[in-house]
Amino acid sequence: MTADPQDRPAQGRPVTTNREDVMTQPQQPGVEHPAIERVLTRRAEQVSAELAAQEAGWGRGFTRRSFLAGAGMVGVAALGSQLVTTKAAYAATGVSNGNTLITIFLRGAADGLRILVPASSELGVDYLRTVRAKLVPDAAGLAPLTGAPGWALNTALNPLLPFWGTGELAFVPAVSAAGVTRSHFQAQQCLERGSDTATTGWLDRALQQLGPGTTFRAVTQGSALPAALTGNQTKLVMSSLKNFSFPGWDGVSAQSQTALRALYRGLPGPLGVDVPTTLAALGTAAAARAKAGPQNGAVYPKGNFGTALADLATLLRAEVGMQVATVDVGGWDTHTDEANQLDRQLSSAATALAAFLTDLGAARRKRVTVVVMTEFGRRVQINANGGTDHGHGSVMWLLGGGLAGAGVYGKWTPLSAGVLDSGDVPALNGAFDVLGEVAQKRLGVGSLSAVFPGRTFAPLGLAKVG
Amino acid sequence: MTTTFWPTIADAVRNTVPTARAPLAWQPACLLMSRFGFGIETKTQADITHYGLDGWWKFQLAFSRGAGAGYAGHAGVAAQGPLLTQSPAQVRAWLAANGNEYGWEAMDQLTRVTLGLQAWSRGQVYETAVDFFANHLNVANHSDGVWTTRHTMDRDVIRKHALGSYENMLLASARNPAMLRYLSLASSTKSAINENHGRELLELHTVGIGNYTEADVQNSARILTGRSLDADFNYLYKPEKHWVGPIKVMGFSHPNDSAATGEAAGDAYLRYLARHPATAKRLAQKLCVHYVSDNPSPTLVAAVAKIYLQTGTQIAPMLLAILRSTEFWASRGAKVRRPAENLIATVRVLGVGPGTLSRSLQHLHWMSSSVGQVPLDWSPPNGYPDVASAWRSSGSLLNLWSYHRGLAQNWYDGFAPFDPTSLYLAVKPKTSGEAIHQLCVRVSGRRFPTAHVAALQTFLGEPASTPIAASRLRWYLHHLVPLILDAPQHALR
Repeated sequence: MTADPQDRPAQGRPVTTNREDVMTQPQQPGVEHPAIERVLTRRAEQVSAELAAQEAGWGRGFTRRSFLAGAGMVGVAALGSQLVTTKAAYAATGVSNGNTLITIFLRGAADGLRILVPASSELGVDYLRTVRAKLVPDAAGLAPLTGAPGWALNTALNPLLPFWGTGELAFVPAVSAAGVTRSHFQAQQCLERGSDTATTGWLDRALQQLGPGTTFRAVTQGSALPAALTGNQTKLVMSSLKNFSFPGWDGVSAQSQTALRALYRGLPGPLGVDVPTTLAALGTAAAARAKAGPQNGAVYPKGNFGTALADLATLLRAEVGMQVATVDVGGWDTHTDEANQLDRQLSSAATALAAFLTDLGAARRKRVTVVVMTEFGRRVQINANGGTDHGHGSVMWLLGGGLAGAGVYGKWTPLSAGVLDSGDVPALNGAFDVLGEVAQKRLGVGSLSAVFPGRTFAPLGLAKVG
Repeated sequence: MTTTFWPTIADAVRNTVPTARAPLAWQPACLLMSRFGFGIETKTQADITHYGLDGWWKFQLAFSRGAGAGYAGHAGVAAQGPLLTQSPAQVRAWLAANGNEYGWEAMDQLTRVTLGLQAWSRGQVYETAVDFFANHLNVANHSDGVWTTRHTMDRDVIRKHALGSYENMLLASARNPAMLRYLSLASSTKSAINENHGRELLELHTVGIGNYTEADVQNSARILTGRSLDADFNYLYKPEKHWVGPIKVMGFSHPNDSAATGEAAGDAYLRYLARHPATAKRLAQKLCVHYVSDNPSPTLVAAVAKIYLQTGTQIAPMLLAILRSTEFWASRGAKVRRPAENLIATVRVLGVGPGTLSRSLQHLHWMSSSVGQVPLDWSPPNGYPDVASAWRSSGSLLNLWSYHRGLAQNWYDGFAPFDPTSLYLAVKPKTSGEAIHQLCVRVSGRRFPTAHVAALQTFLGEPASTPIAASRLRWYLHHLVPLILDAPQHALR
């Protein structure tokens, strides 16, 4: 790169704070000062040797610290090679119990009223028929839920019904994180951060409470980190386990990784954490990948969601110490033609989730809890395009182990014009009451006051400890 | 740090305390190319040297408003998008004649041409502004119902006004077939209001959340009813669908007393929103986050917002205000390249030529897809996130490291063959150490810090003094180059 003509010291300009910058003055295209060159070369060789020594020293210290920190952790201590310490100083009140919480975020506001339908007069279906007749499935499109009188599932979710029978499926209707906002983005941020003002995500704070874990303690399937995991705790974001390996010729792979560790050592900002975390995860990923492939006859549908869940099942089977995992699924903002759009989405999601639960098998499912959420519900009244606009109360789904039993949990007020909140399903159940209960009982997060500061909890009794 | 503003860009550079976030070094031209362009590249560098900083800015504006307007910034790339000049009906006819009336070819061409112009257009400032506003007024490409119209949003709204007036851009967007479909405005009528567009217009396109009530959202949707499409997906105002009656949204009120003049009432409302101080502040904040840092100072944001209001919503003066601030010039290293930005910057810094564009653009498409950032494809209406914390991903890091190797080692057909020795400076290196220095200077504009140089020297496994003829670079140069691209100097900008 040639020098910029503007790149010269101005009169009275303070001395630069960057040493490399000074050393390359004056700059001419392609010309280096020979004396400086010699100094730099000598110093580079010296630092190189120091670096190698430092690397070795850090390696030893790292292992011992990690081992000590992990010694008290059930199910984590055995994973010596993958232990990392948390970046922030932590005051753990909980202990990881080897369970995993998987949160699935339906981005765009899924219409709860067409997912879990209040299908009896007692629950308010007559009112629904007057304001959204085309969106209330007929009898053939509804699967009544045994033990939850009046409630029925959209039959697009039929693949999940077997798990209702085994007590591994539950729902919370009329759920919300905060007041009516109707803004996708504000509502998502609030639900993921735990309040309108928190600067970190609630899952990040839950991880902090759990203390140290492995490189794989928090895994996001996708291309970007969700707000729920924003914060200081290490986490992995992977688009697919299949491609999670160091690229290029194997003959220089180890040397390249060594160089990368040095290039990013001490770098402030997210990359200074993410690069070493990534490199540390490669070996475990390779071992897990070698045993990939669905078990128990599970068949995943094609598509990103199925692939993401299949990867998570592989990581769970490989016992990599995964405590939380998140997956995003888009396409729920049904302003038009909702009956078709939503049912297609539901069918695909249910097929993938059923495959995932089958893949895990009954025993492993006991240690895995899945929570499916969305930013808010939709307007009760249908709009002119066969869709619905933004609303308020939504539906959470819970699947897998540790539930108190199949059921529809929380409060419900039969729907009528008078009970709606600005035309929406009112918020009768708190989203953080559900998430807090699951984090506490399933993950073993001790106190919730650090995870959801300033909040009083009213658990719905939907999960069991252990 | 105090932010100060100067009459010219060169003055701002001269008066900036030359700091950079470690390990990057202060280098104005490289900062300029990495923020008001898609990365460091020798031809752009030559333009800057030739014109000087202020002259280059003027040249960029003139080029993109003249010979390089629309898609003309690179003739070869533009030729890859023949459907982009067509009307929705023409696109549909072409698709039908080519076997699939509902095919994605027009949307695919838009993706490929966008990537190609980012990589190889001479109008780099324009491409960054287009990218910014395409995300600000996002209409997801490859989403439902825009297969014959999405390119009109790009061509007639974003590219047409990206360096012009935001008011005109907003007016055009509220008449654009793709926008009308994407945010359901085309199907919002007086008897059945659809709030989708009316809400996002307030929350995302203009004033931002916290400035309006739910009643305002309903009125925002009502006053724009009637904006619809004809059978060929051209914009058509249908008076019979327009909601008539007094409208009040925030400080705006309008009698809106006839269907015939309903479109003009909507335009008056859009103008009010475009010129609202809250819109100025929000746009300024977003521009400063995009061009300067994830946390720009309130002083800078206020100055940029002020220019916007003073100039009647002009965009170019806002960008120039940023360039005339010391805060911008002291921000080297303050932004992390988003994944697709890293990919394009890699193509540019290596000087990899477009080769056979029909192939090279396909490669860039799938590569940007695998790191989750295909241009224009973000599906919700708020555009791709613009801050580093949203993009943390091990998977993307590994993919980018793969593309660094692939592009430096000629894995992909279609690109012009790359010779890593082309990165050496005019005076060729005589030793292994000199070679490392020259490559680092090419990638970041300055030497790497000593510890980094040492890491690279260790990778080669030989002393810096090794003569080039005996150096392992004979076999390892094309492995060393991608490693330098993996370094923070290229990951940050």
